[in-house]
Amino acid sequence: MTLLGIAWRNIRQRLLTSLLTALSLALGVALVVATLVTGGIVKQAFESGSGLGYNMIVGAKGSPLQLVLNSVYLISKPIENVSWDFYQQFLPATERPDGVDGTFAASTKTAVPICMGDYFRGFRVIGTNAAYFDRLSIGDSRPFAFSAGRNFRDDEFFGGVLGATVAANLGLKAGDPFAPTHGADDGKVHDPFTVTGILARTDTPVDRGVFVNMEGFFLQEGHAKPVDEEGEESGARGEESEARTAEREKDADGAREHGNQGPAPLPFAQREVTAILVETAAIPGLPGMPDLPAELTAMGLRTTINEGRDGQAAEPIREIRLLLDLFVRPLELLLLLVTTLVVIVSAIGILVSMVGSSLERSRDVAIMRALGARRSHVLAIVLIEAVLLAVGGGLAGWMLGHLLVGAIAPLITTNAGVSASVLSAAPGAELLLVPFLVVLAILAALLPALAAYRTDVSKWLQS
Amino acid sequence: MSTSVLELTNVRKSFAMPGGERVTILDIDAFHMDANEHCALEGRSGSGKSTLLNVISGIMRPDAGRVIIDGIDIARLDEARRDRVRADKLGLVFQQFNLLPGFTALENVLVAMSFGSGRPDRHRAVRLLDAVGLRHRLDHKPAELSVGQQQRVAVARALANRPRAVLADEPTASIDPAHQQQVIDLLRTTCTEQGVALLVVTHAADVAEQFPRRVRLEDFNRAAQGHHP
Repeated sequence: MTLLGIAWRNIRQRLLTSLLTALSLALGVALVVATLVTGGIVKQAFESGSGLGYNMIVGAKGSPLQLVLNSVYLISKPIENVSWDFYQQFLPATERPDGVDGTFAASTKTAVPICMGDYFRGFRVIGTNAAYFDRLSIGDSRPFAFSAGRNFRDDEFFGGVLGATVAANLGLKAGDPFAPTHGADDGKVHDPFTVTGILARTDTPVDRGVFVNMEGFFLQEGHAKPVDEEGEESGARGEESEARTAEREKDADGAREHGNQGPAPLPFAQREVTAILVETAAIPGLPGMPDLPAELTAMGLRTTINEGRDGQAAEPIREIRLLLDLFVRPLELLLLLVTTLVVIVSAIGILVSMVGSSLERSRDVAIMRALGARRSHVLAIVLIEAVLLAVGGGLAGWMLGHLLVGAIAPLITTNAGVSASVLSAAPGAELLLVPFLVVLAILAALLPALAAYRTDVSKWLQS
Repeated sequence: MSTSVLELTNVRKSFAMPGGERVTILDIDAFHMDANEHCALEGRSGSGKSTLLNVISGIMRPDAGRVIIDGIDIARLDEARRDRVRADKLGLVFQQFNLLPGFTALENVLVAMSFGSGRPDRHRAVRLLDAVGLRHRLDHKPAELSVGQQQRVAVARALANRPRAVLADEPTASIDPAHQQQVIDLLRTTCTEQGVALLVVTHAADVAEQFPRRVRLEDFNRAAQGHHP
């Protein structure tokens, strides 16, 4: 019989105590694993948003972080809107009605407007144009792909594209109608849009988005900027005349009846956008001079915009890094501290269990010593017991932790926009967890092991 | 020709009392046992029987003298080496049997083998238990065995590592008279079959008189002479 076999038999002898100790370890480790994996997923959720094919977000003056959270992660509330005219300043002459390059057109490679404020069964609705999926990309170069259907065309006013999570959760497919609500889930129900395509999973917040054609979005009640008859803005928002609303709804009906073809767009004067997703362009250098790279263009453009009165420019990567540094990393550190304490408490459980059974153990140790076991043998047996409990409890806890993550995976996928499953892992920390637990268990078992080491054989045999 | 398996020469052992005074428990000029010899060691309570067994088995180290087991003076060895000699050369049978409660009969024998120089031999363990009539109780734990069966397991365990001598400390003191004779018979028969010397410590005259050699500890332990507790 090996020392391992003896240790295993000792554990089985104290089955209930051993099971309770292992269970306490397992619960501790499960908590740690679930926390680490979930923390990793949250971090991944933020990092996944840092590469969306654009390097600048332009929106109303206010918190740049809020602008990023709202535009990239589809969380938090929009700050305010910027004018359509301001958005037009990013467009080249070919895309502008006046045939003149916008002020920022030279620095802009792509500018995609987004309009927010509506919801569809818990998911954010984003009004945009076809360029969102045609010109932007996932990360630096991966184009958007559709698992079903296709992107909406700009002339399909009531076309919409669903993120993978939205489609999966709501069971919608290409061709299905859906009607967003205004301002909140229980807000006024807007006109129905039709799903033209379902996006393939991107593991970014886009998976949680309901994207509709901005033209159709503009035509919904409460989405037009109020203006007076001369085309000037008329005081408080939402006070547009009923006649104007009725007229526009009539236009919208006409557009739908004509296969979404037709002249029913909202006048430019009544348009606003929540933000503009900008991919800056490299500016060709003067003869004999190198081009100005897009990153430097972004710096200049950001400064110019932020010095102006129309809006602010935020760099998502910079804001996300700030967010990670300010919140996520400290939170991660805190979680690590808490989980370390949990593991230490679990290891103390081993100590308590072993000290609790030390009286029973002393007699067994004395018998084994009388049979010829050396002190090193009994020391090793106690330590092996601790290691077996730690490994057993640790592995059970590791599996339980992953099962927990698997159980809450749908919730994580829905809310964080990243894939989570029973196989989601926090590789670095997880790999270290069980060895760390084993070391702690050995340290915790040292006290009872030394007590066993010092057992007075003659005293115990005579008693 | 008979060879000596156990020799004690000028062995002294004393203990410090709480007040600092040292009390001598063993003061033995000479004692020896031949291989295959069966000897009953009698002694009144407090005469140093348990201390003597602890010194012979290497659990305690004498203050002075030589304790030679099968040619090895264990009094000169460090504790780990004494443990090894005890595992390899001696088999111990205790008054309370001292079986490991969480281990089966077979495992109790195998555990003893784990601490010897050889590899644990399951076949030999089964054979030993078979020899003491417990072939059908291999997988039973001590609590599932009768007192007599437990003592049989203890005897089989004492013989696990092919010892040169078995030391039995009051092996019949905890069992009813009906079983006492069975235990003595078992010990003597088994040790004879295995060619092992047997030293039985007892205070029971009817047990001692069954042995070819009877010695009283007070007769050769000067420390016990004159003590009448």
